[in-house]
Amino acid sequence: MRVFLTLFRVNLLFELAYRSNFFVQALESLSHLAFSILGLALVYSHTAELNGWSVYELLALVGVFFAIGGLIGFIIQPSLQQFMQDIQKGTLDFALVKPVDAQLLVSMQSMRIWKLTDVLLGAGLIGFSMWKLQTAWSWLRVGQFALALLDGAIIVYSFWMIMATLAFWLIRVENLLVIFESLYEAGRWPIGIYPGWLRMALTFIVPVAFATTVPARALTGRAQPEVLLAATGMAVALMVLARIIWNIGLRHYSGASA
Amino acid sequence: MESDSAAIVHARDLTKVYRVPVRESGLGAAFRSLFRRKTRDILAVNRISFDIREGEIVGFLGPNGAGKTTTLKMLAGLLYPTSGTLKVLGYPPWKREKHFLRQITLVIGNRSQLVWDIPAADSFELQRAIYNIPRDQFRETVAELTELLDLAPLLRKPLRNLSLGERMKCEIAGALLHRPRLLFLDEPTLGLDVTMQRRIREFIKYYNQRYHATVLLSSHYMADVEALCDRILVIHHGQLLFDGELDELIERFSTYKTIEVQTRAPEGDLSRYGEVIERSDGYVSLRVPRKETAKVTERLLAELPIIDLTVEDPPVEEVVERIFAQGHAGPAPDEEAERAPGTAGGRGAS
Repeated sequence: MRVFLTLFRVNLLFELAYRSNFFVQALESLSHLAFSILGLALVYSHTAELNGWSVYELLALVGVFFAIGGLIGFIIQPSLQQFMQDIQKGTLDFALVKPVDAQLLVSMQSMRIWKLTDVLLGAGLIGFSMWKLQTAWSWLRVGQFALALLDGAIIVYSFWMIMATLAFWLIRVENLLVIFESLYEAGRWPIGIYPGWLRMALTFIVPVAFATTVPARALTGRAQPEVLLAATGMAVALMVLARIIWNIGLRHYSGASA
Repeated sequence: MESDSAAIVHARDLTKVYRVPVRESGLGAAFRSLFRRKTRDILAVNRISFDIREGEIVGFLGPNGAGKTTTLKMLAGLLYPTSGTLKVLGYPPWKREKHFLRQITLVIGNRSQLVWDIPAADSFELQRAIYNIPRDQFRETVAELTELLDLAPLLRKPLRNLSLGERMKCEIAGALLHRPRLLFLDEPTLGLDVTMQRRIREFIKYYNQRYHATVLLSSHYMADVEALCDRILVIHHGQLLFDGELDELIERFSTYKTIEVQTRAPEGDLSRYGEVIERSDGYVSLRVPRKETAKVTERLLAELPIIDLTVEDPPVEEVVERIFAQGHAGPAPDEEAERAPGTAGGRGAS
């Protein structure tokens, strides 16, 4: 945590020196948002409901999509791309001789602070939708949403981590991550609108569904307990799996697996 | 060789075999290789044994691919030894226990651990957080290093705006903030100009004396080794060819000496005394087999009008080059019979 805060401060100082980046990023986020809303408006000009989702429910989903996407862009993607480069360039050695957990260290070594605007926008969207939906607040629902969001974040992180760790064997895995990025785009729509096979793939192979649809469902009070349970199970399982693969990868890297 | 229980590094029959995948091209083949890999074994380090005591500066010499980096990496806990015993600071290094890692540091020439885009001072803060260095001690160390390495004008600039030498100074400072007891320096002066090399050497020596730190250094530059190292390990083809002092290395491996004479008789053939390397009026430089040095000197003095005469060891580079050129042959040919490859490498001197 201490290390995280220092990293955050250091990165913030760096980004503040390049303030124009902030405006570029803000513009990018806003135009991205505008297109998303335009898409929604287009769909809902034909129908009042999409796969059981009303327009503001779907707006909340877009909010979750932005928030999780922002988290990926803020820390997961830059750190893990750096990590893959470290493997190629041999600078991973430096992380490995530090007296802190190396997986944690590489997972937060690089940040793009301005990507947090996406998280803020997402939060704003969620708040706006909730207001429009006149949702009755209950701690249970807030708790469910927080849990689902945490699960989603862990699942996305673990998935990235597993992909990135493959770099121990394959050296170049950036392409795999590009595929993930485009698949993540699918998460802006409820998982239910996709045909069965794709739904299965987006749930279990590339677990985008848990990252966006499930939290949005929890938020709008439509998450069944078993879905939340499954998401939590998935999160724990993937986290453990990521750790196991990391350990195997390190053993491979140091030549202990032979 | 005495077995010292106070040794900071204790290695016996240390061996590293790399299992290198033989891979076909293409993503499909790469994926298949995840499950079924064709491999071949490469013997990088072959049963080497040595002890290093606290406060020593030890140089690892060897051509590229000789196994010296592999050895250093095993000692630093980055590589898992295939066989043999290894204890560093009393720990098995490959387990990378926190108490072990807190006491070591790693500097690799041409590779940066500080963050490229931000000033070194901020990277130092990060090191402070990682090592949980008390604020007072941190301030004191930074102040000391800043003075010793002239970092004051560099610390606030982004790393990428610095020259290679300036960056290396920052790297070294960053690697020493937690006051490690054991330093692994892999080619720390790589690519630096001569002044900067000297600067860094002086600093390493200072740090070694000030903190009684142990330094393990690998370098291509003989000057580094000559200036710094009390002791040298020569590794070649994964075997330890020599372990001892620099003078001893020259003693054992150089089969020639150089005799330089100033004479009043510049004419005449001198090749009957030895191989003439250099000659300009009145000055001659001769290469003479080591064992005949005394005899030749005597003859020169008796037969020629000599003004001045000096006998010198050949430059270290030359000696080391000769060792490497000999390859598997082990110690100098006139010392010992060739050892069969695969048996233990030279246990070194005494």
